[in-house]
Parts: sequence; structure tokens; C-alpha cells
Amino acid sequence: MLDPRTKLFLAFAYMVVLMFTTNIVALTVECALVAGMVFALRLTRAWLATLRVLLPMTAFLVVVMLFSFDVVAALAGALRLVAMTTAFFVFFQTTAPEDLANTLVKSGVPYAFAFILTASMQFIPVLSRKMQEVMEAQRARGIRLERDVASVRNYPALFAPLLIQAFTLADQLAEAMEARGFGAPQRTFARDYALRGGDYVAIALTLIFVMVAWQVR
Amino acid sequence: MALVVLERVRYRYPDATAYALDDITLQIDAGEFVLLAGASGSGKSSLCRLLNGLIPHFHGGSLEGVVRVDGLETREHPVHELFAHVGLVFQNPDAQLFNSTVAREIAFGLESRGLPRDEIRARIEWALDATRTAQLRERAPHSLSGGEQQMVALAAVLALRPRVLVLDEPFANLDPETIARIREILRNVHAQGTTIVLAEHRLHATIQDATRLIVLDHGRVARDGAPRDVLSEDLSDLRLNTPFVVRLARACGWNKVPLSVDEAIAMAQASGCDEWRACPERSRRMASDKEQWRFAPPITRHLPLNGSPVIRLCDVSFVRDGHAVLRNVSLEGARSECVALVGKNGSGKTTLLKHLNALYQPTRGSVVVLNQDTRRARVSDLARQVGLVFQNPNDQLFKPNVREEIEVAPRALDRFDRAWMDKLCDWFGLEPLLERSPFTLSEGEKKRVAFAAALAARPQIVALDEPTTGQDFAFRTALARLLRDLQSEGVTIILATHDLEFAQQVALHWIVLADGEIVADGAPDAVMANDAAMARAALRPTAWFRMQQHGVGATLCSRPSTPLCGQPHRAAPTNPGVRNA
Repeated sequence: MLDPRTKLFLAFAYMVVLMFTTNIVALTVECALVAGMVFALRLTRAWLATLRVLLPMTAFLVVVMLFSFDVVAALAGALRLVAMTTAFFVFFQTTAPEDLANTLVKSGVPYAFAFILTASMQFIPVLSRKMQEVMEAQRARGIRLERDVASVRNYPALFAPLLIQAFTLADQLAEAMEARGFGAPQRTFARDYALRGGDYVAIALTLIFVMVAWQVR
Repeated sequence: MALVVLERVRYRYPDATAYALDDITLQIDAGEFVLLAGASGSGKSSLCRLLNGLIPHFHGGSLEGVVRVDGLETREHPVHELFAHVGLVFQNPDAQLFNSTVAREIAFGLESRGLPRDEIRARIEWALDATRTAQLRERAPHSLSGGEQQMVALAAVLALRPRVLVLDEPFANLDPETIARIREILRNVHAQGTTIVLAEHRLHATIQDATRLIVLDHGRVARDGAPRDVLSEDLSDLRLNTPFVVRLARACGWNKVPLSVDEAIAMAQASGCDEWRACPERSRRMASDKEQWRFAPPITRHLPLNGSPVIRLCDVSFVRDGHAVLRNVSLEGARSECVALVGKNGSGKTTLLKHLNALYQPTRGSVVVLNQDTRRARVSDLARQVGLVFQNPNDQLFKPNVREEIEVAPRALDRFDRAWMDKLCDWFGLEPLLERSPFTLSEGEKKRVAFAAALAARPQIVALDEPTTGQDFAFRTALARLLRDLQSEGVTIILATHDLEFAQQVALHWIVLADGEIVADGAPDAVMANDAAMARAALRPTAWFRMQQHGVGATLCSRPSTPLCGQPHRAAPTNPGVRNA
């Protein structure tokens, strides 16, 4: 497995390539690359779930670009958006947030800053479950909270309890982190993070890929 | 040797006027197992946070006096130096795990200590082993059950090998089975020499393990001594949830207080049954109005039940994410009846309640509420008939004051009734709170507001999810009386709980759930006598029942064995094993 820093570099390099590529054929090939990676890593199912959220946004972008530019530009824009999201999707699927944070710390990023990243990632599933619970509690009281326009005026009933609990939770979490030595000066890591042969090969290949892409852009 | 030394400690949170801890002087020696009791707001949590330096380093505020733990003055040392000496496990499992896997969770504290890699690995293994959570190693903490999460939090602290292990109400929301597992772990680490300070307001679950009982009241040490000595005193002004056997012994005027049911049985048998027969008169004599030692006896007779069932679940199965949460559940509830769904956490009780108002639809089978099939009903319509009281009141509070909060449902449903609202406020003692913001209330007060809010639209069916969690004895007694009043007005109560002492106080019809299946259905005594079903549901019979089983209870307070009035109980006698329709 590659070092998180290598993977992060790969993802950013890919993003840059997408940005400068205007040739629609080249763009399609580049998209196929990341799609191939999704299949190879057996992430298809999770990816489709992400796409479901992403597609409405993409459709919106396409419509806007159709009006402002032309069909090719709209298509290219859509491909870029999907490919970029997919690249970072692959990155987060294959990288534990702690690993990313720890390697960033090794590279000189302050620990507290890197840690915000990992802790907030753990927070998301907890909050989404909370949201479900709040919704059920309010609907049981006869408050309408469906996916329609009429429910919008009832949103305070959803967001007030959610926000207040999120703040409480964040406070308790900070306390718990403190109680397990967050901020101690001589931290060690349970894992060893170092760039190995595979990382250097991957970085070299990426650089070649960027240069080729620049030629055919 | 004194491991923990507190000298004239006073502490006030920032912006607070009252002292959270007020002139506390005490010493805890190495090897003690201290049970720290007291009503909510008595200062238990603050004392826990004082011991590992979160007070004053994290919370600020003003701290006077001396706090020394393991030779370290806490004021002089930051939390990241103290945490390896004093491990702290918190109450809320959701808010103390912040890593992506269980193994990393345990590693976090060890990394903070700067231990070498091999040592970290060895200690992770040791901690997983000690808490028997090895199978959870690569799981994400947020995907675990509350009980598993608490076990992981304990493992993460134990791995640090602290000399003092402090736990702040770790058992809140956990079911009896998980509590028993954690108690066993605590007994083991105590036997290996770790000093334990356990804050808990329900004494019956933990008192046998402790070597010392400290009771806090308004930030002061109100009692301190050997558990038996402390419990022999009058504690009625301290709002404690004392064990049933202790209340019984006090009510009966025994000269020695038993700490466990087994002990109580032995004592009763040794002293002969005359002592027991005298019980009702004596208890009346002993218990002054102020004393809450009155042990709440189980209810013994039904209100008259009439008419056809208002709740009917017919062969209901519910599948979520490919997992069967309910399997072939059939049950009925009549007007004025109180049905208790008992079972451990995760057995499907809450899911079942959410079927009653169409929040969930059965995957198979049917749910009929007041002659209405829930598949053809909307949640907002059923909300008129079914009041659901959820476990966590914070999920629903959002109005600027309590009055508006409880008026939400009746206004949304167009069923506002001034007289009824006044009655509710009276029942729940909400008068003084009406103009306050619900967010500033204590958890107990919030719970009362949530109850009132659920009842505000005058539902004919009231469903309660673990209503007694974290509540003191006075609240439980008041709630039992309230449920009785509601029943006499024709309301059907359905109660999901793993608190059998409470279920026994209010319900004569018990349904036991295990893994989403009904494993027993009948009268409380019949259900508790069904060892197979109780074992499958991981429940333990109540103290009352166990004493009766040993012959001592037969004469206990001249309790009738058959219902005195109303129809005999409808439900079929308990039937061991699975009851598939």
C-alpha cells in the first residue's frame, strides 16, 4: 500500500491534469483511468452511492454550461467534475484519516491541525445518525419533515436540536481527547510511516503521466 | 499509601455562582474501590474531572485547595501528563471515541504517552483481550452498539495502565448484560491492584463490588464509609436510587442491611418469616412521608380491560440493511392496558415502538392502530393518536421556552386543550419551568418536558422508550403513578425497557424480545419463571421475584397471587422458546 502522502500527491497531480486538459478525447481517457482504478479496487458499489449524490450537481453544471458555452465544453466540465470527485473518493476510501494526519505531522504539519481532519471524519457518521433520530422524534410529534417545500418552514425543528447536540458532542469529544493525552509533546506512532520503493515508482509514473498529458492536452 | 489526596477543595465553573465542589477533604488509598454516589448535580462528574486535571486545565473556573494524585499536584501538571496516572472513562460512548478503528482508538493514548511501537502493539493486544473485544479490532467505533463502544472506551483507558481508574456514570443507557460484563472487567483490574473510582447513582448494580461508598450532595461529601454502614443510615434527603433490598430492610426495620438479593434471602430465612409478615404495618410505621425508603411493590391487579385491542401487530417482520430487526412479531394491546416490552439493547424494542406511528413500516405483516392500518396512514395523522416518548429529550427540544415546546404537537395537530395542558404541567411539575429555555434545564427536567410534550395532544396510545434511564427514585415513583392515572382515563401504555424493577411496578403484561423475536409473553411472574426465555433475552429476574422464589416472598406484605378485580389476564401463559405465529 502506498504512503498517504504519495496518494495525496497522486490525487493532486491528477486534478492538475484535469484542469489543463481541454482535448475531449484525452479527457475521456483520463477519466477512464480513474474509473478503471475504482473497478480494480472493488469500490464500485460505494462509488455508485457517491455518484447518486453527485449527479444532480453535475446535471446543474451541464445546464449552466450549455447556456454559457457549447456542448463540448459542457461535457468536458461534467467529466472533470466527476473525475476529480472520483479521484478524491478513491483517496479517502483507501486512506485511514489517522494515517493521513500522522504522515502530515511527520512532514511538519502541526499535530492539532492534522488531527482536526481525523476527528471531524469520525464526527460525520455520528451526526448523520443524530439527524435521523431528531427527524423521527419531531415527526412523531406531528411536525412535518418530508422532502418537500411545505416542510421547509419546519426546518428549525430539525436543525436546532441537531446543532445544539453537535456543539455538546464536540465539547465532550474535546474533553475525551484531552483525557487521553491529546497535545502531549513526545508523541509516537503505532505505525511506521516512510516512503518506500513503491512510493517513488508511483511518483515517477505520475510525473511521466503529467508530462504526457501536457503534450496531448 | 494515599494515592488521591484532596484538601479543602472548592471549585466553581466559569460564570457559575454556586460551587460545584464545596470544601471537600478526602483521601483514597491504593487498592480501594470507591463508589461515588449522589443525585444528578451533586458534583460527581466534577469530582471525576478534578482527579485527572480536566478541572481546572480544560474547564477553567476557580479552584481552591490541594489536589494530589499519585504524588502529582494536578494544578502543576497538564492533563497530558496526568492522563497516564488517572484514566477517565466518560458517560456518553458517542462522544469519547474519535478514531477510525478500535485498534487505533486504543493506540491513541499510548501514542500520546510516547511509548515505543512494540510496546503499543503489545498493549493493544492486552487491552483487547482484557475487555474481550478482539473481534471488534478493525471495526469503526461509530458502527458499534453503545455497550461495545463503552467497552472500547474502557479498553483505551486500561491500556494506559493508570494507577487510578475513574469512571463517570459509565452504565447510563447500558443493559444489564453489558453492565455485568463491565463490572467483571472492573473487578479483575481492581484485583490486579488498580484503584477504582466509579461514579454512579444507581447503587444496586455496583454496591457489592465497592469497598467504600462516598455520597455527594450539593458538592459536599454527605456520607463516607463502608457501603453497609452508609446504607444503614437514613439517606432519604440525598435523592439516591438505593437497592431494593436495602429499602425493604429499612422498611421492615431489620437490624442489618443486606447488599444483595442473595444476602437478603439468607437473612430472611435465618430470621424466620414472622419478621416478613409484620412488614406492611411496620413499613407504614417506619416510613415517614419524607422517607423514600418505601419500596415500590409490583402492581397486582389490572384495571378493567374492555373492548377490542387498540394495537394489533400481526406477524410483523422488519428488515433494515439486509438485517432482520423484527421477526414474526405478533402482539395486542387493549384500552387501559399497560404492556411492557422487555429485552436488552438491540433486541428490537425501539424499532417496534416506531411501527406504532408509522415511522417505520413493516417489511411483512401488518400493524393496526385504532383500526387503522399504518401502511395507509401518515405519521402526522397517527401522531394525534400515538404519543411516542423517545429516550433522548435533546432530539426534540427547539423552542425558546418550555411552554411553547409542549404546545408544539397540539398546535401542529390542531388539538389544543388548555385544561389538559394545565393538568400536564401539574403532573410533571413544570409550572416553575414554563418560561425557561428548554436548553438550560437539567437532563431530568428535559425528560419531563419531553413526556409532557408527547402527551400534550391527548393521544390514546402512549409509547415510552426507556423512560427511567438516568432518573431518580422519586421520578420513577411519580411516573408509575402517572401511567396508572393515564390508564384509568382509557389510555393504552406500551413501554420498552430493560429496567425490570420498573416494568414490574407498572405492567402486568410483559413481552420479552430477543434478537427481534418474542420469546415470552405473559404475566411478569410467569415470564420471570421462564428461565429459557430470560436467558435468551439476557435479563435477570427482579429482586422481588427472586426473593419470592426462595419462599420468603410468599408472605411478603400479604401480596395476592391472583388479580383481585377485572378480567383475568388475557395473555397466554409463558411459553418457552420461540413463539412463531
